[in-house]
Amino acid sequence: MIGSHRLRRLAPFGVAAVLALALAACAQSYPNSTFTPHSDLGRSIDFLWNRLMFFGTIVFILVEGALVYVVIRYRRRSETVMPPQTHGNVVLEITWTLIPAAILAFIAVPTVRTIFETQAPAPANSLVIEVYGHQWWWEFRYPEYKFATANEIYVPKGRTVDLVLRSNDVIHSFWVPQLAGKRDAIPNHTNHIWFTPDSNMATTVWNGFCTEYCGDSHGEMHFRVVTVNPDQFASWVSHQQAPGFFSPAPAAPPSPPAALPAAPAALAQAAGKAAVTAAPATSIPAPVVPVNPTASPAQLASYVLPRAEVPEYAIPHTPFPDAIKFDDRLQGDPAAGEKLFVGAGTCNACHSVSGNPLAVGTIGPNLTHVGSRIAIAAGMYINDKPHLSRWIKNARLMKSGVLMPTLGKGQYDPQIKATTPSGLSDQQVADLVAYIQALK
Amino acid sequence: MATTVIDTTTPHLQPFVPSPVPTTVQTYKGTVWDWLTTTDHKKIGTLYLFTALFFFLVGGLEAEIIRAQLGAPNRHLVSAEAYNQIFTMHGTTMIFLAIMPLSAAFFNFLIPLQIGARDVAFPRLNAFSYWVYLFGGLFISIPILFGHGPNAGWFGYAPLTTKTYSPGINIDFWVIGLQILGISSLAAGFNFITTIINLRSPGMSLMRMPMFTWMAFIVQFMIVLAFPVVTVALFFLLMDRFFGTQFYEVASGGDPLLWQNLFWIFGHPEVYILVLPAFGLVSEVLPTFSKKPLFGYPVMVYSGILIGFLGFGVWAHHMFAVGLGPIADSVFGVTTMLIAIPTGVKIFNWIGTIAQGQFKATSASLFAVGLVALFTIGGISGVMHSSPPADLQQTDSYFIVAHIHYVLFGGSIMGIFAGIYYYFPKMFGRMLNEKLGKIHFWLTFIGMNLTFFPMHFSGMLGMPRRIYTYDSGQGWELFNALSTYGAYLLVVATLFFIYNFFKSKKSGRPAGPNPWGAGTLEWTIPSPPPPYNFVVLPTVTSRYPLWEGKQADIESARINQQGGKTAEQLGIVLPYGTIKPLLAALFMIVMFSGLIVGHWLVLVGSAAMVLALYGWLTSPLEPEHH
Repeated sequence: MIGSHRLRRLAPFGVAAVLALALAACAQSYPNSTFTPHSDLGRSIDFLWNRLMFFGTIVFILVEGALVYVVIRYRRRSETVMPPQTHGNVVLEITWTLIPAAILAFIAVPTVRTIFETQAPAPANSLVIEVYGHQWWWEFRYPEYKFATANEIYVPKGRTVDLVLRSNDVIHSFWVPQLAGKRDAIPNHTNHIWFTPDSNMATTVWNGFCTEYCGDSHGEMHFRVVTVNPDQFASWVSHQQAPGFFSPAPAAPPSPPAALPAAPAALAQAAGKAAVTAAPATSIPAPVVPVNPTASPAQLASYVLPRAEVPEYAIPHTPFPDAIKFDDRLQGDPAAGEKLFVGAGTCNACHSVSGNPLAVGTIGPNLTHVGSRIAIAAGMYINDKPHLSRWIKNARLMKSGVLMPTLGKGQYDPQIKATTPSGLSDQQVADLVAYIQALK
Repeated sequence: MATTVIDTTTPHLQPFVPSPVPTTVQTYKGTVWDWLTTTDHKKIGTLYLFTALFFFLVGGLEAEIIRAQLGAPNRHLVSAEAYNQIFTMHGTTMIFLAIMPLSAAFFNFLIPLQIGARDVAFPRLNAFSYWVYLFGGLFISIPILFGHGPNAGWFGYAPLTTKTYSPGINIDFWVIGLQILGISSLAAGFNFITTIINLRSPGMSLMRMPMFTWMAFIVQFMIVLAFPVVTVALFFLLMDRFFGTQFYEVASGGDPLLWQNLFWIFGHPEVYILVLPAFGLVSEVLPTFSKKPLFGYPVMVYSGILIGFLGFGVWAHHMFAVGLGPIADSVFGVTTMLIAIPTGVKIFNWIGTIAQGQFKATSASLFAVGLVALFTIGGISGVMHSSPPADLQQTDSYFIVAHIHYVLFGGSIMGIFAGIYYYFPKMFGRMLNEKLGKIHFWLTFIGMNLTFFPMHFSGMLGMPRRIYTYDSGQGWELFNALSTYGAYLLVVATLFFIYNFFKSKKSGRPAGPNPWGAGTLEWTIPSPPPPYNFVVLPTVTSRYPLWEGKQADIESARINQQGGKTAEQLGIVLPYGTIKPLLAALFMIVMFSGLIVGHWLVLVGSAAMVLALYGWLTSPLEPEHH
C-alpha cells in the first residue's frame, strides 16, 4: 500500500522525466524541425502554428467524431424502416456557417498582425547578407565587411540578420527551418527576410535548403548556417576578409606578399570592424585552426567552428559514385596545385580566391576559405580528400547538371556524353586537392 | 444484396412497380469502327473512363517509383534527371490525364441521364473533346519513355521552363501537350454548359437538378474561365520557346512572376475543378444509402457556387514565399480562410444527410464517407497554410504534399471511386463485387493515410518537396519509410479494384434499372441505358422523382424502365456516327508536332485539320426528321 502510494506520488515526476527525455530526443533526432524555432521570426510563426493546431485539432475531433457517430448511430438495422425525410435545418445550417467564421477570425487577426510585424523593414543595425541563388549552390556576400563566401555562413547570435535575396538564373528559395520561414530568390526581383537568432542559443550548425524546384540538382542545393557568439563572429569575419593562401612547406620562404597586394588594407579594415562589432568582448578566443607559422595576426585570431563541434546532421553522408576511381594514397603538392589552379586546371575561370589576382572567376563558388568549410558541392559531399579529389576529377558524374566541368583525363562526361580526351592526371588532381584544402 | 431491397424502401412511390431485375445484360456490342466514330455520350463517357483509369495507373506507377526512391536516404534507384521527369509527369498525369478525365467520364455519362436528355448538346464536339484528350495525353506522356519527359514540375515555373534553362525538347512536349489538353477541356466545358442550360427535360428546373449535375455545371464555368488564363500563359511560353519572344526571359527583363500569377489564377480554380465533381458524386451516393434526401440542398448549391467564385480570388496563396508584400499577403490569406466556410458547410451537410437516416455501408458509401473524413483533414491543413507567416514554414515542404494528397486523393479520388462503385451498374449493367469492393476501400483508406499522414511530419521537420533524394540523419527516415510502405499498400488495393472491375464487368450480377433504390432520373432507365436513354423525355416534379415524384414522374419512370426496343422502332432520331472529329483531333496534334519536328508539318497538319473540320461541318448531324 505504502509502496503504491509512494509510486503514485512519484508518478508525475516520472512522467515529467519521460517527457523531458522525449523532448531532448526530439531535439536531437529532428535537426530541421520547425517546432523548435531559435529566432524571433521562428517563434512568431510557431505562435500562429500553435493556434492553428489548436483550432485544427478541435475541428478535427468534432467533425470526425460527428461523422463516425452518425455512421454508427444511424447504421441500417432494418431494410423496411423508412427514415424521416428531412431536407435541412436552417438554424443548424446557420450555426455551422457562423462557428467556422468565428474560428477563422481568431486565426485571421493574429495572422495579419504577424504579417505586418515580420514584413516591416529590418532594424537599422541589422547584419545585411546578400544571398544569391545559383543552379545549384548559394553565394553569400557580407557588404558590411566586404567579402563573399559560398554555401556556409556564420551569423552572430542576438543580432538581426537581414537577408537580401536575389537570383541570376532561375527561382530558388531560402529555408533554414530552425531559424526562419522561406523566402524566394527571384531573378529581376529583390526580396527580404529578416530574423534575430536567439542570444542564448547553441553555437552550432543549422541545415538550410533550396525549396523552390530549380532544375536537375534542386535536391542537392543545401547550405549551412553557423550561429556563433558575437566575438567568434568578429573573428570569423576577419578571417574571411583575409586573403586565401596555403601554408607552403616549412623550408620554403613565406610567399604571401607575392599573392597579397591588397592584404594589409583588408586586414586593417577587418580588425577595425571586428573591434566595433565585438565591442563588449574583451578577449577573442584562442585560434582553433591549426596554427600556421606564416599566418598574419588576424589569421591567428580567426575562428572557425571546430570539426569536432559540427553536429552529425550537418555532415553530409552522400556516397560518391564508385565509377570514379582515384588512388587516395596519392600525396599532393599544394604549390603545384596553386599553379594548376590558375594554369592547366583552369579553375580560376570560374572560381575566385581572394588575394590571388589571377583567380577572380565569378561563375562558381568563391573558394577563398574553402578548406575550412564542412562540405563541398553545396552541402552534398563532405569536404575531405576522397570526395574533393573525385569531385575535381568528374564533378558531373557526382552531381547532375552541374556547370563544373569533368576535369580528369579519360573521364566520361555525362553531359556531353563523351570521354574527355585530355585533362588532369590523378597526381595533378591530388595537387589541386592539397592546394584547395590548404585554403583554410 | 442491394438488389433485394429495391423500392420496398421507397414508400413515397407505392404506385410505382419496378420492373424485375433481368437475368441477362444487354451490353454495348460494336466494332472498333463503332467506337472510333461514336457520338453517343455514354460510349464517349466509357472511353473517357477506360483511358483515364489507364492514365491513373500510369500516374500511380510514377508515384510508386517516387516512393521507392525516397523510402530510404541516399537511394539512387533513378537518377536526379529521371526523378524530375517522373515527379513532373506524376503531377501532370494525375491532374490532367486522370482526375479531370475521370470527372469528364461522369459528366459525359451522367449529365444527359440526370437531366433527362437524349445526348449532350453537341455530340460530335463531345467526340472531338475525347480524341483531343487521348492524343494530347499520349503526346505529353510518351516522351518520358525515351528519357525526354517534361521535367520542370506540373506548375512549370518560368524562367526554368525557358529555352535558356531548359534547352531540351522536354518542356516543348509539356507546353504543347497542355495547350492541346486545354482545347479538349474548353470544348467539353462549353458543350456541357449548353447541354445543362438547354436540354433539361420538362419540369427539371435548375433547383431540381441532381447535385452532381449542379457541381458539374459550376465546374464547366470554372473551366471556361480558368483555362483561357493558362492558355495565355502557355502561349507566351510557347512563343518564347519557338519564336524568340521574351515574355519570361530574365536576361531581357522578363518577370518570372507573370507566369506565377497567370498559372495560379488558373491553378487554384483547377483544384476545385478537380474536387467539385467528386463532391457531386458523394452528394448522390450519401442520400441513396441513407434513404434520405440531401441535407440542405439549396445551401449545397450556393456553397458550390461560392467556392467557384472564391476559387478565383485566392491564387496568390501559392505565392506567400514570393514576397508580395504585407497587403497582398493579408488579402489572399483572408480570402483563403473564407473559402473554408462554404467547404465546411458541405462537410456538415453530408454529415447531416447521414444523421437520422438509415446508413448502409457499401463500397460506394464507404468511399463517400472516406471522402468526408479525409477531405476534412485536407481542409484543416489548408487553413493552416492560409496564414501566410505560418505558410512560410509549410510551403514547398512535404507538409504541402500531404495537404494536396488529402485534397486530391482523399477528396477527388475517394469521391471518384464512390462514383465508380455507385454507377458501375448503370454503365455496364452488372454489379461490382461488394466484398472485393470493401477490401479495396479499407486497403485504400489505410494505405492512403499511411502514405500521406506521415508527410505532415516530414514536412514540418524540414523536408523540402521535389528533392530526388535526401541525406541520412535529417530525422526524415521513419516518416519516409512509412509513406513508402503505405504506397506499396495502395498497389495491393488497386489490384483488388482492377480484378473486381474486369471480373464484374464480365460476369457480375445483373443490376436492373435501380439496384440501389435511388431517387434520381438516371435510375428510371435500364442498365446499361439504351442509345436513346429515355423512351419518353421524363416529366419532373421534384428533386428525387423516384422518391418524391407525383403521378407524372411515376408514369415517365414506368415507361422508361422498359428496355428492349431500338431507336428506329420508337421513331427516335439519333446523331450519325462520324470519324471526322477523330481526324480533326489527330491532324491538330500533327499541326502542333510541327513545332518540334519542322514548321512544314505545321502547314500540312493545319491544312489537313481544316479539311477534316470542313467535312465535319458540311456533313449532317443526324437523319432528317420526318
